[in-house]
Amino acid sequence: MAIPRSQSGTTWFGLARPSRRHWLGYILLAPAVILVAVIIIYPLVVSVDLSFQKVGIARLDVARKPFTLANYEKLFLSPEFWKSCWITLKLVVTVTLLSMIVGLATALLVNNQFRGRTMARLFVALPWAVPEVIAVVIFSRFLDSSFGLINWLFITLGVTDELWGWFSDPTLAFWSIVMTMVWKGYPFISIMVLAGLQSIPVDFYNAAKVDGAGVWQRFRYITVPVLMPVLGVVTILVMLWVFRDFAIIKVLTDGGPIKSTQTLAILTYDQAFGFFNFGYASAVGVITLLICFIASYLMLGRQTKSMY
Amino acid sequence: MNRTRNQSLLLYATIAAVCAFLLFPVYWLFNTALSSSAELQGLPPSFWPEPMHWEIFAKVVEERAIFQWLGNSTIVAVGSVLLSMFVSVLAGYSLSRYQVRGSNSMGVFILTAKMLPATLMVIPLFAIFRSVGMIGSLWTLILAHTTLIVPFTTWMLKGYFDTIPRELEQAAMVDGCSPLGALWRVILPVSAPGLAATALYAFVLSWADYAYARTFLTNAQNNWTANLGITSMKGEYITDWNEIAAASVIVAAPIIIIYLFLERHLVGGLTAGAEK
Repeated sequence: MAIPRSQSGTTWFGLARPSRRHWLGYILLAPAVILVAVIIIYPLVVSVDLSFQKVGIARLDVARKPFTLANYEKLFLSPEFWKSCWITLKLVVTVTLLSMIVGLATALLVNNQFRGRTMARLFVALPWAVPEVIAVVIFSRFLDSSFGLINWLFITLGVTDELWGWFSDPTLAFWSIVMTMVWKGYPFISIMVLAGLQSIPVDFYNAAKVDGAGVWQRFRYITVPVLMPVLGVVTILVMLWVFRDFAIIKVLTDGGPIKSTQTLAILTYDQAFGFFNFGYASAVGVITLLICFIASYLMLGRQTKSMY
Repeated sequence: MNRTRNQSLLLYATIAAVCAFLLFPVYWLFNTALSSSAELQGLPPSFWPEPMHWEIFAKVVEERAIFQWLGNSTIVAVGSVLLSMFVSVLAGYSLSRYQVRGSNSMGVFILTAKMLPATLMVIPLFAIFRSVGMIGSLWTLILAHTTLIVPFTTWMLKGYFDTIPRELEQAAMVDGCSPLGALWRVILPVSAPGLAATALYAFVLSWADYAYARTFLTNAQNNWTANLGITSMKGEYITDWNEIAAASVIVAAPIIIIYLFLERHLVGGLTAGAEK
């Protein structure tokens, strides 16, 4: 280790010296900041701006329309908007809960020591890699009212004696979305929980065993505390995913029947590209973002505390 | 932990049953693709097509521009992953190692950017791209997917770099490496599993997009991505399930193969440190 020769180099770049660490840090950050400013912040500003205008199909190379609060007024007075909020909430809670259960259970199951464990892990999380649109193709075939497997199964098992119209009944349409989303969503939870479980050194368990801790105690005092932060973050990410999902709902039910599965995301999109009300759609979108925001930070605030 | 024979059997049986149940939809996609139209419109459903109609794949490839769709999806995914990885490796490293002023708010901002709904972003992006005449071009998707990817990859990579001991690059610098040299020669090779996991994640994000593709490219058939092509088939041919299933198999195959090869990086890479 020849130290003196290269020490003059390190002082400039700060890593080794906590006191001087600035400019390289900024330079490394610059490309990301510029990119984000151009493709995220600027569009975001545009959409907030649009939400205060009465505008159809927006262009940026024409003069902006006068400032108005009409979009937000219309929004808060519209029963459709409140209905979408309620549907979104129901969907977020149901899907998050169910996929947490499936994801946790599969992760704990596959984390056991057994031969073929690598294989099992691979397969358990496979739906993660299936594109949402293709998951929709699979489930619409499953739920096909005349020749779908599910209806056939239900009739054969005697659950019902008539063919269920999964996409013509509001309640069933909701559950068809839940099924598809849980199947697409649980693998992410498995992956993250497995990663968390792997991060626990075996020594912890051995030490606890030496000290006389039983299976339950080891789970309760080692596994659970390590998993809690992971679970917190994962819950937020899954909720955000459901909250904002477009592809599954759009292709599976298109928000129908009679708008019974029209979440806020679908409402935003349809207002913009179905009815060409860019201003109103932006207002819905901005409110959606605010809800995401507030909900996540409320949860994240609790989360960061529990991590320390 | 030693299990009794019965306990092991029970464990294996449970795992096999759970895997079978969870992967049944994938099997059903294949089953649907390989069944004849008659089998698909009869009850009880056939669980094992007899004979298997492999020719459906040739038919679909001939009738649909599937390879063009896949090519477009690939161009978009590779483009947006390269762009995002370049900026977020640098940014993630900076956030992990340097105390840049505002780096705390940067972290908060990245988390916030993750929350942006695509259905909100698609509106201003459409207006912007339309004003500069880019609607219909694959570039719109590369840029739009980058908005999805960068917040995730920057955060993942920052977390990953945090797990790598600083002593590693300090040692390299003591031995005469420049800071960027240390990043390139020491940190990046050590982070290979993390980089692979992040890039895979980014690739899947891009490959899965539907909202942007639908909005920017619907009228540009030559630039359709795979997902757009599949949904166009679902719209018109609601009864030809074997064709749409076969097309879905072809479209899902690349991403599933990538996943099968890189999964261990994905799971291990998120937490494994620099001990190797």
